[in-house]
Formats: sequence, structure tokens, C-alpha cells
Amino acid sequence: MIGRFEYARPKSVEDAVSLLRERGGDAAVYAGGTDLLVEIRNGHRAPALLVDVKGIDELRRLEIGETELRIGAATPLNAVAESRAVRHRLVALADAALSIGTYQIRGRATLAGNVCNASPAADTAPVLLVAGAELIVAGPAGRRSVPVQELFTGVKRTSLSAEDIVVEVRIPAAEGALETAFLKQQRIRGHDLAVVNVAGSVDVDTRRMAVAVGSCAPTPVLLDPVDTRGQSPAEISERLITLAEKATSPISDVRASASYRRAILPVLLRRLCDRLAAEGAVA
Amino acid sequence: MHPISFTVNGERQELCVPSSMTLLELIRDALHLTGTKEGCSIGECGACTVLLDGTPVTSCLVLAVEADGCELTTIEGEAHGGELSSLQQAFIEAGAVQCGFCTPGMILSARALLSRTDDPGEDEILEAIAGNLCRCTGYEAILEAVRIAARRRRPGEAGDA
Ligand SMILES: Cc1cc2nc3c(=O)[nH]c(=O)nc-3n(C[C@H](O)[C@H](O)[C@H](O)COP(=O)(O)OP(=O)(O)OC[C@H]3O[C@@H](n4cnc5c(N)ncnc54)[C@H](O)[C@@H]3O)c2cc1C
Repeated sequence: MIGRFEYARPKSVEDAVSLLRERGGDAAVYAGGTDLLVEIRNGHRAPALLVDVKGIDELRRLEIGETELRIGAATPLNAVAESRAVRHRLVALADAALSIGTYQIRGRATLAGNVCNASPAADTAPVLLVAGAELIVAGPAGRRSVPVQELFTGVKRTSLSAEDIVVEVRIPAAEGALETAFLKQQRIRGHDLAVVNVAGSVDVDTRRMAVAVGSCAPTPVLLDPVDTRGQSPAEISERLITLAEKATSPISDVRASASYRRAILPVLLRRLCDRLAAEGAVA
Repeated sequence: MHPISFTVNGERQELCVPSSMTLLELIRDALHLTGTKEGCSIGECGACTVLLDGTPVTSCLVLAVEADGCELTTIEGEAHGGELSSLQQAFIEAGAVQCGFCTPGMILSARALLSRTDDPGEDEILEAIAGNLCRCTGYEAILEAVRIAARRRRPGEAGDA
């Protein structure tokens, strides 16, 4: 037995929200459970009720529209990683999803759970930040859109309330094509959380570049956008390194020391620029 | 308590489970199918891997109540009528079993891979079993076992290594 809790599997978003509302802060949304069940087992959390959202049909879809990608909150990460359309439109998201855990973990874990868990190391967070993604959130007052940029407020903290449920992650199509890349530094070649992770996107029409960094601050950090017109990849990466140094505050933990993180971050940013340059996205 | 109804290795089961029971506890302690092993209990080692509707999951991170309406396959479902599956046979031939603790999970991850494709590339095999840790074999013999079993599934190809 892990902890003591009740379990409910509502069939609609509205029923799920009412359950959360009735229980105040005592209930937790349960998606893949790959973070939540580990935290309950470790005694870090003790919700009295788990509200399983995997029985809600609306949350299980993955839609690739002309203007946006819509990924339901109960869609497992393997479906995201294996979708040809996702790989074609947003290769960084497919790569980030594929880098998470193991095949077994990705068969359960969700994209929404990865960001709602708000770990500084969450691998899909930098990608969603540079892609301008938003969450469709259902709460007692109805539905609203929350930009992923406004989600993270601290380590394992988000701006959502205990009565909110993420229904889907929406990623708008850029004006031009969006070239993206994701890089993750880890201790071992197998599955491991990121020591540092970075994602970048370049709108090939406007040449605007967005870069986000994970595992180097209490939250994943979106850097100020960079205008890449007339700049060489080397100039762009030096600019990004300066921006990243100002925006981050790496700490030492079980995975790496602060000084290692400070040393590897510029390396990853240079590789990211080179990767995007190789795709023809910069210079 | 939740009444649940599901099949285990093809056999129908109906029972009542508490909310906070894991699927692993259901399998080992209620169904007494002890082929499924408990290793880390936090989804890292893969020893408790079983198939839920054909998808490999670490049963330590799934709730028993979630088996409701599902088809559950454990390592006891691999052999039929006392005869080992071709995958089990390949593990023996390749010498892919040493202490044996990872083997049930390893075989079920491989089984799921072979149900997705009968011609897996090297990277696909590695990715499929990356979530199953083995501390004895060094993995080479396990990779070979999966290759042998895949070859035998492909029509018109002799399986011998
Ligand atoms: C072995 C292992 C390896 C891992 N490797 C990685 C890795 O490499 N990279 C990485 O980033 N993570 C990793 N993780 C962490 C975890 O798998 C991911 O963060 C996963 O995406 C979480 O999704 P989930 O659906 O399992 O979330 P859950 O555990 O179900 O939920 C996580 C949190 O989000 C909340 N939540 C979930 N869904 C919603 C929703 N729809 N609305 C509102 N709140 C919600 C929950 O209440 C909970 O607080 C690993 C975990 C394990 C066990």
C-alpha cells in the first residue's frame, strides 16, 4: 500500500473539477502518476483523494490542426514522442518527450503532468516555453488559457489553484516555419534527469530566436528573445550565454555541482546554435 | 474498496481492492503470481514490468484499481501448456539469464517490442529495454536473445543465430 487515499475516476472535466472543489486542497489530480505516486511513497505528499483524469475522453486526444497542435492532458508521452506530425512540426518536443524516463514511464507519463509537476528539470518545459505554448485550464469559474510562461512560480510550484485541471496543451503554429532543437546533458546515456537542458526555436520568417534553459534556476527560464538577422552563430551564442548567465542561478545537488552547471550551460547553448544553424535557421 | 474485473493471462478475475494498493501488490500478494519482481518501487529498475492492455508498465507505479476492464499479462502468461515461448527459449539459448531477477520484466518489455515490430533496429531494442536494469549480464546476451526471437517471428527466415 502506498499511503492512504481514496480514488475517483470521473468521466468529465466538470465532474473532476467538482470533486477537486469539494475536497479543497486535499485532493490531487492523478494523470500518469509517475511523479505523484513516487512523492506519496516517499512521504512528501499525502493527498486524501486522487482524481484520475485518464477516464475523460476529451483529455486523450492529440490533434494536429492548421493553426495549432493540441495535446490532451491524459495523452501519454510515448504518443507525443512517436507522432510523426509532432516530429515534423516541433522536433524539439518529440526529442524532449523521448528523452524522458523509459518506455514504461512514457507509456503512463503525460505532457501536462510534466509541466504541472513544475520540476526545474522538466524536459518538456523549455520546449513549451520557446514554442509559446499555452495550457487550457478548467476551474470552478470555467475555462481559461494560461501561457506556459506564466505557469512556473517556484520549485514544484505553479500559478494553478488546487481546483484547476489542465485540459490540454496548445501550441500555436508560428508565422513562418519554426525550427526547433532540444539538448539535454545527463550523467549517463540511459534514463536520467537533466543536469542542464536547453531548447531553442527560430521563426524562419522573422529570424527571431527564443531560448529556454532548465535545471539552472528554481524554474525553467525563458531568455529574452534574440534578433538573429545579420548575426553569425558564434555571435548569437555569445549573446545567449550573457543572457543565460544573468537569468540563472545554478545550485549543487545530487546530479551536479553549481560550477559544473555553469560550465556546461555555455557549451549547450553553443551546440544549440550550431544545431539550428545546421538546419539553416540562423545565419 | 473498489470492485474490479479484469483478465490475467486470459483468465477472468473479479475482486475488491483498496484505493492505495499498487498493481504490483495485487499481482504478487492477491493473485500470488510471484514471477513479477519488486525492485526499486519507484519506476526506475523495471523488474515489476507487466503488460496492461499490451502496454508495458512498471506495476509499482500503477494502482490496482486501474486494472479494471483491462487485460493484464504477467510473465506467467508467456509459456503455454508447459511450453516456453520462443522469446523465453531465445533467452536460454543466448545465455541471457543469470540471477534472473530482471528476466520477467525484460521478457515482457521485449514481448511488447516484438508486438510493435518483428524487425526492430538496434536502437529500438535498446530503447525498449532501457527501462529494465540488469546487473549481471552486461546486456549483450539479452540483446542477442531479442534479435533471435525477432528473427524467428519473421516469415521465411530461419531463426538460428
Ligand atoms: C523512472 C522515472 C524517470 C523519469 N525521468 C524523467 C526525465 O527524464 N525527465 C523529466 O522531465 N521527468 C522525468 N520523470 C518525472 C515524470 O515522469 C514526468 O514529470 C511526467 O511527465 C509526469 O507526468 P504524469 O502524468 O506521470 O504526472 P503525475 O505524477 O500524474 O502528476 C504530476 C503533478 O502534476 C499534477 N497534474 C498532472 N496532470 C494534471 C492536470 N491535467 N491538471 C492539473 N494538474 C495535473 C499532479 O497533481 C501532480 O502534482 C521521471 C519519473 C520516473 C519515475
